[in-house]
Amino acid sequence: MTTILLIKSADQHPSVRETLDSVAEPGETVYFLRLPTVRCLGELIQEVNPMIEYDVEYTISCLPTGYEVADVVDFAVDVEADRICIGIFERTLTGKARIDDLTQSILLHEHVSGDLVVGDHAIILENLDYDQ
Amino acid sequence: MLRIEFQIQPAGISSKLFGLEEQVRSIEIDNALPVTGDRIFLFLTAQFDADVSEERLASQLPETQIVDMAKAEVNQHTYYLGVIVDISEASVLALLTEHRAIPHRIVGRNAHLDVIATVRDWNHLKDVAGTIEDEHGSLELVGTTQTETIGFPLGGNKVKQSMSGKLSDKQLEVLETAYRMGYFRVPQEVTAEEIANELDISRSTLSERLRRVEHNFCELLFGPQE
Repeated sequence: MTTILLIKSADQHPSVRETLDSVAEPGETVYFLRLPTVRCLGELIQEVNPMIEYDVEYTISCLPTGYEVADVVDFAVDVEADRICIGIFERTLTGKARIDDLTQSILLHEHVSGDLVVGDHAIILENLDYDQ
Repeated sequence: MLRIEFQIQPAGISSKLFGLEEQVRSIEIDNALPVTGDRIFLFLTAQFDADVSEERLASQLPETQIVDMAKAEVNQHTYYLGVIVDISEASVLALLTEHRAIPHRIVGRNAHLDVIATVRDWNHLKDVAGTIEDEHGSLELVGTTQTETIGFPLGGNKVKQSMSGKLSDKQLEVLETAYRMGYFRVPQEVTAEEIANELDISRSTLSERLRRVEHNFCELLFGPQE
């Protein structure tokens, strides 16, 4: 199994932990895909310690400046991702996970489908299927 | 199942109401019933900036048959409207039900429509959002959450509806804030002082408003006090 974890902020520990804890399986590869606005992941990675604490291999990649949803989807196709996890940063008054523009574009992308699960700290898209 | 919230541009009856000479603050579809043919009976709550008359509305909405119009007892410039319109006038409602999605709330304010609905899964979400986006030009997803049950469909929240005419917005705000902050929990999670601070009112105003809310609740449950 392969998981992409979209990193929108260097302090999104809760969604990283939730993904590594209850979504990714030991031994699998996790791609930390950061937005160009997120500068340094060193501290986050050091604190969470994916290899020792969660037994997963990880790779850090970055979306290009001026990225579009197609860049995320192309990346997912390249690494044959089974899951994409997107951190939840805010909730609405009624407790719904707030959806930003990039998340909306991924959710409504015509070539990506699968199952959508809303966790405590992350929106998890799994059993992904790419209809190219 | 997924509960979703999204925003779209008003269309049909909602855009007509926003286009009235009288300023509309908010419109909500409380209920909808079928009429023979392609007509639909809509029950709306509309809040205006000032008082309006049925004649004024009727003259500006020639294709809308106003069956009933009643003024809310407590909230200012608020009216309950029963109107019969062509089903295409309630397009988001029609699109949701056509695609087997459950509408929960359709509220118009600040020149857009806020919609809360339940869909089965991700594919259903894409299907429903795609169709509505095609019809309305744009759609902005606001939020989503997982849910086990369909919950109350449009117009199903009877308690809230019967309360809405009996409590003013200010009283509801006090009650909701107190509830959300944990005032009614045992043990209490906040003091009256903290709620009063949050609402920027004095403690005595808070306790007076809460007592009025309780009194109105009891009146609704048990009838007027002897």
